Amino acid sequence: MLRMENVSKIYRTELVETHALRKVDLHIKSGEFVSVTGPSGSGKTTFLNLAGALETFEEGDYFLDGQNVKGLSDDKLSEIRNQKIGFIFQSFNLLPDLPLFDNVDVPLRYRGMSAKERKERIEHALETVGLASRMQHLPTQLSGGQQQRVAIARAIAGDPLFLLADEPTGNLDSLMAQQVMELLEDINSKGTTIIMVTHDDQLARRAHRNIQIFDGQVSDIEKSVADDVIRSA
Amino acid sequence: MFSYNFQLALKSLKERPALTLLTILAIATGLGLYTTVKTMSYQSSQVPLAHKSKNIFLLQMDNREITADAVEHQARMVDTTYKDTLNLMQLEMPGVKQSFNWSTYGILNVEDENINPLQTTAAVVNSTFFTMFETPFLYGNGWDKATEEGGEAVIIISKLMNDKLFGGRNSVGESVRINTHVLKIIGVLDTWYLNSKFYNRSFWPGYPDNFFIPYTFAMDNNLPRSAGFDCWAANADISRSFRTENKGRLINSECAWVTFWAEVPEAKVTDYRQQIMSYMESEKALGRFPRELEMYLTNLNDQYNYVNGRNQFLNTFSVLATLFFAVCLLNAVGILLAKFMRRKKEVSLRRALGAKKKTIIMQHLLEVIIIGFLGGVLGIVISYFGLQGMLNIRIYSSDYTVRVEDIQPLFQLNWVMIGNAFATGIVCTIVASIYPIWRLCNVPPASQLKSQ
Repeated sequence: MLRMENVSKIYRTELVETHALRKVDLHIKSGEFVSVTGPSGSGKTTFLNLAGALETFEEGDYFLDGQNVKGLSDDKLSEIRNQKIGFIFQSFNLLPDLPLFDNVDVPLRYRGMSAKERKERIEHALETVGLASRMQHLPTQLSGGQQQRVAIARAIAGDPLFLLADEPTGNLDSLMAQQVMELLEDINSKGTTIIMVTHDDQLARRAHRNIQIFDGQVSDIEKSVADDVIRSA
Repeated sequence: MFSYNFQLALKSLKERPALTLLTILAIATGLGLYTTVKTMSYQSSQVPLAHKSKNIFLLQMDNREITADAVEHQARMVDTTYKDTLNLMQLEMPGVKQSFNWSTYGILNVEDENINPLQTTAAVVNSTFFTMFETPFLYGNGWDKATEEGGEAVIIISKLMNDKLFGGRNSVGESVRINTHVLKIIGVLDTWYLNSKFYNRSFWPGYPDNFFIPYTFAMDNNLPRSAGFDCWAANADISRSFRTENKGRLINSECAWVTFWAEVPEAKVTDYRQQIMSYMESEKALGRFPRELEMYLTNLNDQYNYVNGRNQFLNTFSVLATLFFAVCLLNAVGILLAKFMRRKKEVSLRRALGAKKKTIIMQHLLEVIIIGFLGGVLGIVISYFGLQGMLNIRIYSSDYTVRVEDIQPLFQLNWVMIGNAFATGIVCTIVASIYPIWRLCNVPPASQLKSQ
């Protein structure tokens, strides 16, 4: 489903070249729950940006659902993000002046769905995260954990191929983090692939597979274990 | 998608009301001044008698001495001598009308003792003047050829004077006295608005004359001639006296002072030109027209183009207003940039969630079109007051000798200018928004999504 071959990302300024990712070879299969860990500045965010088609890269190939993303136009990348990827951010990134319903509606609007279909999907997504009764509330009226659940609802409303979660529990206390993690696991158990960047080793261990990034290089340390899990699923 | 973008545009407008208001004010202020000047320029450049202005020609023949300097432009060429005027009037050419005029002045009195005598100017014209220039009559008519040839003491007065001297009633048949001459009123003009007094070549903005007198009466009674006399050296020293004296010498002189007009159908322009040339050749044979024969037949459109191009006040003011508008637009660029860049996190999120660049551009274009529209409305209001201000300045600068209603049309917005102002407001606001929108669309989405 997601395959990177020799992908490198270099940030260039007039004075220096920074190799954010070096020759990444990676294959994530459908239905996997993959955690991505590594020290600060190791290249986790760059990896997530490339995986989410938010940034372009110079070398290698990145196949998403069989399609090579390299060299695609900005419009095409927008379409891919809209239709195939669900984003969950550490800081939730909800639009504060929009009710929950409208926040979840944003990606669906850009997909050009009918009002009826959007409504059904939004209600179902908010139901899935347990916030169906609060769809007219503003994000500021919710706790951090609830806000992150709204962000998850927004990510899953469009039935994406996979979710990209960037430190989804980073801004939450342990109880709320636990609830969000359980929600992600529940979503994954229904077949949605999840790639989650985290600093929390405990959470990382709950994934089927852990990818470590260090100095721009990726090492797949529990690949065999993950493969076993997926095979038995 | 359009309605969603429109909703977002409206929401964005309300988001930072102070910045929105500042942008609208910047555009409205610049546009207001720009529209004020453009309206004045537009109104003053409108050629009268538009339906036949290309067929109304000023005739000038170069009768000057051989030593005279060459002229750079037709506008510098002398007018017509009195003897040429009378000779040309004898030309028979079906479909062609000829008219001429000069100015006179004097003290005007009426029988009503409650009306104080007033110093006034009057146009001295021939009978064709009224048909050629299509003067509107409220009462009576112009004089006919027989009246003219008989040198009868008749006069046509303006509506303004009819209101002032006779309380607006039909004054045809009544009399006025100019200096010592009693003249019978045979016609009262209706409101005859001219953006400038073109027929005597002054192009002075405002209104036509208040009195029109037959040239035969004016010459027979030696009414003063208010004109610039372009004379040969032999008469140069006494040319100033021609205003009131030496009529006999003036009539036979080579002094040019009469403004001569011809209305010539398009098909006959070449023939008319040839006829004038033939006349000049025959006069040359008699010892006149010493220079290489040259004549100018300049229609009203070309004259207005020339005069408008040389309107220093409006041209300078127009450049200043355009520069001011440009500065206001630059301000608007800055304000829009600040307003839009505050939104970069939201736009980055929308881009991450699938919004294409063109969708973001459309949303912001809709917003600036609304800003441009509101700026246009406010700009038009500002220009309305600006024009009122300019009108008052004009009245003040003329020592209140100009009537408001006579010059008001020069300072009046019309639908053309209102439409232009709207279009200019919207187009310029869109142009001003290109850079801010471009900057916003090129913020890398990933750079904004990590921050708290």
